[in-house]
Amino acid sequence: MSRLAARSTLAPGAVIPVAATAASLLLGAGLVAASGASVGEAIAAFWEGMFGSTFAVGASINRAVALTLVGLGFILANRANLTNVGGEGQLAVGGIASTALALHGAERLPLGLAVAAPLAGAALAGALWGAIAGALKVRRGTNEVISTLLLSFIGLLVVYWSVQSEDLLRQPVTSAATLPESLEIPARTKLPTILADPSSPLHIGVFIAALASLGVGLTLGKSASGVRLRAVGLNELAARRAGIRDGRLVVAVLAVAGAFGGVAGAIMMQGELWILKAGFTSGYGFDGLVVGLLARGSAAGVVAGALLFGFLRSGGLAMEITAGVPAAVVVVTQGLIVIVIAGSAILMKGRE
Amino acid sequence: MTEEQIAVFFGSSLRLSMPLILAGTGELVSERAGVLNMSLEGMMLTATFAGALGSWATGRPAVGLACGVAAALLLAFAQAVLSVTLRANQLVVGIGFNILALGGTTFLYREIFGPLSRDIIPGFAIWRVPLLGDLPILGVALFQQVGLVYVGLAVVVLIWAMLGHTAFGLAVRAVGEDPRAADQAGIPVARVRYLSVLVAGAMAGLAGVFISVGDIHTFTEGMTNGQGYLALAAVIFGGWVGWRTLAACLLFGTATALQFQLPAMGIEIPTAGLMMLPYVLALLAVAGLVGRLRPPAALTLPYQRGR
Repeated sequence: MSRLAARSTLAPGAVIPVAATAASLLLGAGLVAASGASVGEAIAAFWEGMFGSTFAVGASINRAVALTLVGLGFILANRANLTNVGGEGQLAVGGIASTALALHGAERLPLGLAVAAPLAGAALAGALWGAIAGALKVRRGTNEVISTLLLSFIGLLVVYWSVQSEDLLRQPVTSAATLPESLEIPARTKLPTILADPSSPLHIGVFIAALASLGVGLTLGKSASGVRLRAVGLNELAARRAGIRDGRLVVAVLAVAGAFGGVAGAIMMQGELWILKAGFTSGYGFDGLVVGLLARGSAAGVVAGALLFGFLRSGGLAMEITAGVPAAVVVVTQGLIVIVIAGSAILMKGRE
Repeated sequence: MTEEQIAVFFGSSLRLSMPLILAGTGELVSERAGVLNMSLEGMMLTATFAGALGSWATGRPAVGLACGVAAALLLAFAQAVLSVTLRANQLVVGIGFNILALGGTTFLYREIFGPLSRDIIPGFAIWRVPLLGDLPILGVALFQQVGLVYVGLAVVVLIWAMLGHTAFGLAVRAVGEDPRAADQAGIPVARVRYLSVLVAGAMAGLAGVFISVGDIHTFTEGMTNGQGYLALAAVIFGGWVGWRTLAACLLFGTATALQFQLPAMGIEIPTAGLMMLPYVLALLAVAGLVGRLRPPAALTLPYQRGR
């Protein structure tokens, strides 16, 4: 019986996202045509931007790495019935911590620590940012949707602040033309690339994301912590009776989700950006949240969604540069995918 | 401060608060009914664009106003279908609409106006309130604004009255606190929620039109720049109460005005701190560190009969 039910919900679960994506992409092509550009040319540029070169593929996967980590953090917290909307802020504080450590001392550390220390610092900063929401929830009963959302905006403004002031992370101001951004982080603190091909930006962040996906998948699947999270998510009172310290668990799971976001921010910074700028998170936190939600609690689903969004972003940028079609078309497509999949959730729930 | 600076400061505070007041008051109704519109930002942005387009194409700001409100209502209707009828996750749908609105308006703007156009669009004329407009300082600051300011404030007061003193307002509050009990008492939960989201849409529309047609007289990509989120924060900081939301909007608008005013007066302050203030205050408020606030019990929760 249960196997049958599982099968009947599995099919629409996979079909709807694929159909929604296809329909949205078609509409995107329609917009390209409406703008008067050649659809063939635009699609060629789009494809080129996604898969056309080792650079394109590497850059797309790197984008997916950050989205995966944020998405994993989301489904982890979601298992305990907590909605972590704070990805954007967690990315932001992670990026700050990583930049600060990379610029101030991490470079001189031996072995791989020059790379690892900023990552660890970012994890800690993100964890702290997540734990604030957890502590407020447990101590003051504050709705975590609202607190994590507000913490996101605060985090973004902390980045802005850090690059405005020379006392913080702004590069030394030598003239009126000095941009409000940090110095470039030292070479030794940048994430090493994987492939011998120098044109490929693919870096070791992909291993971190793979490990994290595996870890989250296993935790949610079988482990005792997975069961505890689920118990708290399903029935707080019963979980407490069964001796699960739900308060601690709430803080811990939001801290772990925050740490994932923090590491993602560090990976963006040390992997590709290398310079801290206001708004460097550019919506990855919100995209990651969407990826997490659409994945319906599955770590594999997070990876799939993150790859989709990562490749879409790359393709859109290429289309704008080579075919002169505004990348806004891809933004529209992405928005539609999100809305259609979220709207069709009711179909996927099936029997409910 | 000279008298003129004082007048400019009060005037710009009111001007910058206005979009927040309009959007925040509409959102208040929707949240009291249990629907959180993360899409507020997207609704406002859509209205800024549609309003600018309507006014630019016809040369008549009133047409722009109608276009802007209609466009925002359309988005609100879609939001209501998704979050009430289809019971989709309100946050995700809202984020989706924000992405869509940013992409859509940017695309249309470049197609219609051309990239980086700074075409001036016809805006509303300044209306000098009889007698009050002649007051020293305050007259210039508060009583010589576009008519939309006064119409908007009147609508806000009407909405308060509706929320607090009419059967519909009672239904809104009931549906947001305990939809099951409301349903059992014969209140049409879905219809009340639809209407509430549409109120939020119409007000976000006014807010958007105020920005492009009423204030700046042009459109730029991503013009609302987070004001929708700021309005959400104001509803939270206002503790889901009408007049407190208004006060929060005025406070946030004033903080924004100070960012421009203080550097102009040669006072160096970290503007990031001022920009952050609204969100920090809202966080402290929901954390119960500044007064004790409670969101509507059914906020963000879809309702389905018999479950």
